[in-house]
Amino acid sequence: MRQLFSLIFLSLLSLSVSSVHPSSSSSDYHEQLVLRPLPLSALLASFNFRSNTTFSEFEARNFRLFPRSLAQILQHAGTRELHLRFSLGRWDAESWGARPWDGAREGGTGVELWAWLEADTDEEADHKWLILTNALSGLFCASLNFIDATRTTRPVMSFQPEGDHPNSTVTNMHLLYGVLPHEVVCTENLTPFLKLLPCKGKAGIATLLDGHKLFDASWQSMAIDIRPICPSGGECVLQIEQTIDMVLDIERSKRPRDNPIPRPPPGHELPCDTSKPYHSHDTCFPADYKANQDWSLSQVFGKTIKGTCPLMDPTNPPVCLQIPDSRTVYISDGVVEKKNPDRNSRCFDIPPTADFEMVVTPPSDDDAAQTSPGAVGVLQPETPLLYAERSFTGHGQERGGVQTILRNPSPDREVEFVYMETLPWFMRIYLHTMEARIAGHNAAHNASLIQQVSYRPALDRARGTQLEVRMRVPAASTVFLTYDFEKSILRYTEYPPDANRGFDVAAAVITILNSNADKDAAGGRSAVYTLRTTSLLCSLPTPDFSMPYNVIIFTSTAIALAFGGMFNIIVRRFVAADEGPEVGLGALTGRLKGRLNGLLERLRRRTGNK
Amino acid sequence: MDGGKVTLGRTAGLYIGAAVLRLAIFTLLPGLPDLLTGRVEISTPVTSFKRLQEGLFLYNHNVSPYDGGVYHQAPLFLPLFSLLPSFATYPIFTYLLYIAVDLLNARALWRIANSGEAGSSALFTSPRREKRWSGFVIAAVFLFNPFTVATCIGRSTSVFTTCAILHAIAKAVSGAPLGAMVALSFASYLSMYPLLLLPPLLLLCYDRQRPERAVKSSLAFASIHVSIVAGVLALLFQMSYLITGSWEFLPSTYGVQLTLSDLTPNVGLWWYFFIEMFDSFRSFFLAVFWLHLSCYVGGLSVRIRRQPLVVLTLLLGIIAIFKPYPSISDTSLFLAMVPLYRHVFPLMRYSFVIAAVIMYATFLGPAFYHLWIYAGSGNANFFYAITLVWGLGQSLLVCDLMFAVLRDEWEVERPEMVGKEIRQI
Repeated sequence: MRQLFSLIFLSLLSLSVSSVHPSSSSSDYHEQLVLRPLPLSALLASFNFRSNTTFSEFEARNFRLFPRSLAQILQHAGTRELHLRFSLGRWDAESWGARPWDGAREGGTGVELWAWLEADTDEEADHKWLILTNALSGLFCASLNFIDATRTTRPVMSFQPEGDHPNSTVTNMHLLYGVLPHEVVCTENLTPFLKLLPCKGKAGIATLLDGHKLFDASWQSMAIDIRPICPSGGECVLQIEQTIDMVLDIERSKRPRDNPIPRPPPGHELPCDTSKPYHSHDTCFPADYKANQDWSLSQVFGKTIKGTCPLMDPTNPPVCLQIPDSRTVYISDGVVEKKNPDRNSRCFDIPPTADFEMVVTPPSDDDAAQTSPGAVGVLQPETPLLYAERSFTGHGQERGGVQTILRNPSPDREVEFVYMETLPWFMRIYLHTMEARIAGHNAAHNASLIQQVSYRPALDRARGTQLEVRMRVPAASTVFLTYDFEKSILRYTEYPPDANRGFDVAAAVITILNSNADKDAAGGRSAVYTLRTTSLLCSLPTPDFSMPYNVIIFTSTAIALAFGGMFNIIVRRFVAADEGPEVGLGALTGRLKGRLNGLLERLRRRTGNK
Repeated sequence: MDGGKVTLGRTAGLYIGAAVLRLAIFTLLPGLPDLLTGRVEISTPVTSFKRLQEGLFLYNHNVSPYDGGVYHQAPLFLPLFSLLPSFATYPIFTYLLYIAVDLLNARALWRIANSGEAGSSALFTSPRREKRWSGFVIAAVFLFNPFTVATCIGRSTSVFTTCAILHAIAKAVSGAPLGAMVALSFASYLSMYPLLLLPPLLLLCYDRQRPERAVKSSLAFASIHVSIVAGVLALLFQMSYLITGSWEFLPSTYGVQLTLSDLTPNVGLWWYFFIEMFDSFRSFFLAVFWLHLSCYVGGLSVRIRRQPLVVLTLLLGIIAIFKPYPSISDTSLFLAMVPLYRHVFPLMRYSFVIAAVIMYATFLGPAFYHLWIYAGSGNANFFYAITLVWGLGQSLLVCDLMFAVLRDEWEVERPEMVGKEIRQI
């Protein structure tokens, strides 16, 4: 009873504490949605949710905005910094340009997790990693518990801690990286993700997040980043940042849900390219880039924003739209539109309880005249620092090669980066065949492309290959990075049920290094841009799954024949064909005849006696 | 030994011819060596030249090649091939090394053939021994056997094991037991399975000792020479330890052969059996397979005690069928020894069937492998079936040779039985 009283008292106390500092709680949570139309009727929506908790509150298990379920896992597993990614689809850099957040908030297809764990030894780190992956697996309904030793690596060059870590802990922090390329990210991962938000997706921009739309996107990435931040002079805080980036196909999103079959638009609605010489009232060259420039929030997301989250920092506008100022946008009553001075974006302040709807009109003909075709009425996409494509070469199920094409679009700046591959053990790579060459140049130029290689070979059934290559691509050139590998054949129980589909190979991670900065204290250089290639599908040779018994029987028979034949010759004596006891059919019939004769003889004698 | 000059000229001609043939293939068909290196019939996980290059690359870049799943070969290959000029820039030196090893093998075979051990050993003299092939013919059969040539072009490291085994036998028949034991230790160090040849080789050495230095007690002889093998092996392991800096190489080289963790297809019977084996029975059947492989040693050594070279030949044949990672290189070694028994060929019963089955498997094997791996129109059972036929064909040859040799022995006791029908009871 006394305990109960003290509990009530404590909770009252904590209530009063939180009511004393309402300002601190409101400023610790920040959410923002940035919408950016991309060329070819795509729309990038970036949701960002960020909240802080001070270390003293975190240690005292006093969680307000920080999700308790996650915090307890972090404390239990000794995690200092955590990054978790759920991704789907492919970012089309050729049409959409540079990635949002400079690629820092995205992962390869599937699930990716990397964390810095505090541990004294590697074994302790492995143990904590096991705890962490299993706990996160339960929390996010993902197969993270399948990140075992064969899928875990310890990258050396690719990742640097994002947070501020005191020097005392840096020395015994272990970075572990695991990836599940086969994992299909779906709505069961979104629900726990939204549950971590202070408003649980019931108010604010998170109300737009709907599994039907998110997982219908051309590309989407959900990210959770937890890191300690130490502002100069202030108390260290633990920051959790949840990010969802998605690229929606406007045409696809606008299809009515009850009638989703795509149909060609009627002739009079077809946008035509009027610049073609043969354009007239009865001929039309369709201008795809002009189509679907007009959209509204409710068309694209299927609903409107329900007010704002009351815990949100009111000084930051919750929704921003990156579109030229010349485009007209209609908004709901009560919403304040603020155009930014750069003339290319505007933000909206939403009243706490009102619904927010936004209608973007098609660009005027003046817009179309000003900009290049393909990007009418939208901002010109920024050119990324590097384009990367990875594919398999060769044919057959015995061996193959991996080829990565790295193109530096900049006319005058060299790009230096770390290329990281995490390969499954059954792809046996031959490092001596790895080479980098510049397209269209002779061998002399290729010598200095690869600067440093960090390699940990795969061990059968124990760990995967970890390959990190620090290399550079000169200005305005294309580099081919190739290597050979051999596909091993597995035990039949090691194949998944859909063995002939192939095995997913995780995306390669390319971390572009800051070329200006010197090495920092930790020996690494900060990343300016990160990109990931697509994942690959590697088909292995398969045995016949239906006949283990037959194989065991056939092989055993062959061995028995050889063994029997040889020992038969060894142990038996030679005799001439007519010597020794008679065997065979003749002997058998002779013996039978003798028996029969004896029987008849006895019968005859008996009858004779009578 | 009349016409020594002619013999010398013919010898030189044979060796030069074999070397030129190999060199011509290496230089005129530059794609062929790599193609053959990739063939599963020639390169196994424990002998592949491509894996050797990967191990060498890692070794030269200070990464332990045994801390990975690719390199499963003996550590002494690493400094040997590091001494050669780099394969990428000067492949000719590697080619010359392999050609030289083949010629050394032929030289050892020649000496074995000329010793006449096959026809008349210390305890037994065959009445048919006059009908035999000279060392020249036997060396020629070895050097121009397509299997030997393919192994050489594919640069499988099993040729070094072959070389050590043939030299061990050649030393033994020429009455140099110490050299034979050292050579056998090298062979066992490189591939492990030649250790099974130790008992018959000891018998051969014992029978062929030089009278002036003979050790009369067989027990003393055996213990001395077994300890020599153990000593040389210990020395080699110690050197490997110094080269690689750890004992990691033991599980990675011999452990892989014992546990068959790499299931790459080959011409043997193990790989598909252990792909399809249920996990709970894996260790049991591994033990059974190894026990089966070693059970022939005792039986043959006892039964054919009077002709230890026959035991060695038959064991090489059995090993070529039943070892964990066999290749055509092992078959080529067996087929190199078989012509030594030219005198018992008339007693063999199934020569035609054996030749037909081996040819059938040789031509159909690559075709069925292609159907499975590349064309996708066949499945793994196609290649598996051919490996079964290949194994049965070879075991038929082993059985038939064994029968012929035993009948030859028997006919010494029963000379009236020559040419008569016989049977076994």
